[in-house]
Amino acid sequence: MFTAREYSEDVSNQDRTAIARLTHRIGFGPKPGQFRKMLKQGFKVSAKQLLNSGLPNYGDVKTAIGITDLGAQPKPNSELLEPYKVAKRAQLRNMSLWWLDQMVDQDFPFVERMTWFWHGHWATSYSKVDEPVVMFDHIARLRKHAIGDFTQMCEEMVLDGGLIYWLDGQLNTANSPNENLSRELLELFTLGVNNYSETDVKEAAKALSGLRVVKNSGLVTKEPRRSYAGTSTVLGTTGNFESVTLARHLSLTTACQSFIPERMTYRFISPASSMMSTPMKPSERVKSSTPIIKKAFGGRQILPTMEALVFSDAFQNPINSQVKSPLEWLVSVLRATRTVPSRYANPDYLLKLLDTLGQRPFFPPSVGGWPADEAWLSVASSQTLIQAAQLIVSQGDLSPLMDVAKKQRIDALADWLGVAEWSDRTKTAFDGALQDPARLAALAICSPEYLVSA
Amino acid sequence: MKNISRRNFIKLTSASAVAVAHSLSMFELAQAAGPRLLPTGTPILVIVTLNGGNDGLNTVVPYLDPIYKSLRPQLAYKEDQVLPIGDGLGLNGSMTGFKTLWDNKQLAIVRGVGYPNPDRSHFSSMAIWQSASRTPIKTGWIGRWIETQPENPFLAISLGSTLPPLFQGAKRSGTVLPLSGLKIPTGMLATDFAKTSKKTRLDGQLSATAARSIRDLFTVADIVSPILKNPAPPAADLPTVIGGNAGGESNLSAQLDIAAKLIAAGVPTRVWSVSLGGFDTHANELSAQSLLLGTVSNSISKFMSQMRTIGRSRDVTVMVYSEFGRRVRANASDGTDHGTSGPMFIIGERVVGGFHGEQPPLNQLKDGDLAVTTDFRSVYGSVIEGVLHTPVDRVINGWNDRLPLFTA
Repeated sequence: MFTAREYSEDVSNQDRTAIARLTHRIGFGPKPGQFRKMLKQGFKVSAKQLLNSGLPNYGDVKTAIGITDLGAQPKPNSELLEPYKVAKRAQLRNMSLWWLDQMVDQDFPFVERMTWFWHGHWATSYSKVDEPVVMFDHIARLRKHAIGDFTQMCEEMVLDGGLIYWLDGQLNTANSPNENLSRELLELFTLGVNNYSETDVKEAAKALSGLRVVKNSGLVTKEPRRSYAGTSTVLGTTGNFESVTLARHLSLTTACQSFIPERMTYRFISPASSMMSTPMKPSERVKSSTPIIKKAFGGRQILPTMEALVFSDAFQNPINSQVKSPLEWLVSVLRATRTVPSRYANPDYLLKLLDTLGQRPFFPPSVGGWPADEAWLSVASSQTLIQAAQLIVSQGDLSPLMDVAKKQRIDALADWLGVAEWSDRTKTAFDGALQDPARLAALAICSPEYLVSA
Repeated sequence: MKNISRRNFIKLTSASAVAVAHSLSMFELAQAAGPRLLPTGTPILVIVTLNGGNDGLNTVVPYLDPIYKSLRPQLAYKEDQVLPIGDGLGLNGSMTGFKTLWDNKQLAIVRGVGYPNPDRSHFSSMAIWQSASRTPIKTGWIGRWIETQPENPFLAISLGSTLPPLFQGAKRSGTVLPLSGLKIPTGMLATDFAKTSKKTRLDGQLSATAARSIRDLFTVADIVSPILKNPAPPAADLPTVIGGNAGGESNLSAQLDIAAKLIAAGVPTRVWSVSLGGFDTHANELSAQSLLLGTVSNSISKFMSQMRTIGRSRDVTVMVYSEFGRRVRANASDGTDHGTSGPMFIIGERVVGGFHGEQPPLNQLKDGDLAVTTDFRSVYGSVIEGVLHTPVDRVINGWNDRLPLFTA
């Protein structure tokens, strides 16, 4: 039996904060014992371990969990309609739980953390795409490039059936442009607001015109008859742009070199400078680190950029706290309590919970992705979190608390959950609950110190 | 309809109510400037956000204008499909409830509303509307108003699951109330949460907000839960149709029903926020938009009728807006792309009914888009002064323009 102090006595609060940020923001929070190990290894070793962890070999996931092309929806009076709907719901459920499982189960889920980041970036929702296999493939493409080459990611995403359908790209023809995909590609995916003109939007729409999407499979083809033939001029460059060449062109602009690191800074360091969910320039609090992170993105390689971010001053600057988003909160709780979503007593509850909290995977609220910080803190979310916390801890593994003596439980609680330190206020509440690990755990995961990544 | 009596409400919310409301007393409500019943006569603002960019031209329709017909032949409404309201304009045929309000001089339509150099991004444009600032700032306009008022978790309530940016303050924000109501732990766990959510000076801003969100949950739940069990006030003077009154049922009407229950009970809320999505009609616009506008019109008419039933109709003002209008010319998908200005609706018995602002002329489009003839901040200005009784520049820095939207 270990006590917290044996491991943590030489660790400064600053180190605890940095390592807590590392595990919660770059991963999905510590599994039992991981935080102490990281404290012992120190920030640098722990960061490298997490960043270089890679992915396990998933094999053929689609076959394993039964994700298939369901074909066109049967006619309203067909007896095939009900089985079709049942199959569709089952597939969506399976792929949702499979993804949550990966986040919860992997020791070092950095690539899934990045895939999750990109899901919020190229925010495409099942609510309109409405086809499990198309959304699965969409996320699989993001995963494939999650820590790789951003240019390649862009080249592949502009031909992703889910994304195109989501943004009406299949309705965009030479004769009658639909600018939805074009605008969001410039504004939200590659350049950032104010870094292009209305003419650029119109010209880029020409390059993206003439695509067909088979709704149920996501198969994309370009039809010359509906496509714009001729050159277009985007951001001062004229050429025979098509989707892929346009994506490449956009990804290699200087605006993009700033914009993507800014989005990473926003999500992994601090959304505090943002106004609402509008992408915007980082504030003073990250200024000294910004040039370094942008420079690291020079070759459009994502992993080195994340490395620069993690090792930047801003990442460690105490001012840059952020609110855990609901998915981050839930996954970190499931990791701590060793609760694998698909093997949970009622897996559908977990999906419903994320839905209630406003952050179910595959369902971003809009193409702008999910909000941040205070938007997650409300009377409504507090009640849902408190209910969920009670339920999950009542079924989870609380041995990291059970196995230590009562008087050591407050320290054990911090190391178990990866919290830098408890406030005196929160400790006072813990004092009355030391004899009851479930109550203690529920209080801790709903405490300000856990809801906020300090 | 069960009201909380004034005496009970004060009892419930005072520090002396230890025995009455166990968990509530833990939260030292009195210290947090505990809420009191809202006196009749106090103005109440209901903000209705239409998400996605509502097509103003097919809402307040210039059905006589030949340019309207020529630029969107498949999307143009004909004379017999709209509800004429003068000036060659007609309300979308689904908005019968609004037509009645118009005829009763309780509907103001502000035409051509937007802001300079329109931004066609949903996010930027909504951010501009919700912050009431053309340049990015972090707070919403109601959030800033909240911070001019004494702390009160009931002051501004948004119905839904996440905090709308317009309710975001620098330090204090509005309250979010889910449609399903609030459930809280009892017993020892409640006592514990009272401790973990206590104010401490050592909290950073986000931790302080996290603590307050828990604290407010217990405060609000204790008051709100019994009230939500009440039936919604009846819309007594609306015509009835099969299966209910003409107000109809929708998510928007469910949100407004909750507001109606709480207003009926005298909860001290000055600003309500409700919303309806789906207005981003890039394709197949006609039926979709008409359905949505019907919902807006029916739900608000029903709500106003409920307010008459409970004697608060003179106090309530409803304001409807969307982040932008849409392009005049239709696209090839029988929809419209993001545009610029659009109409705003202001509803209430103290409202100066009729048209305000100029209709953007269709023969003077700029890059195919409608002109902005009224800055939305002028509408906000009128509301901030006329309904929230606060000097405009305390909420919108440096803004002084107003419209004559309210009778004295």
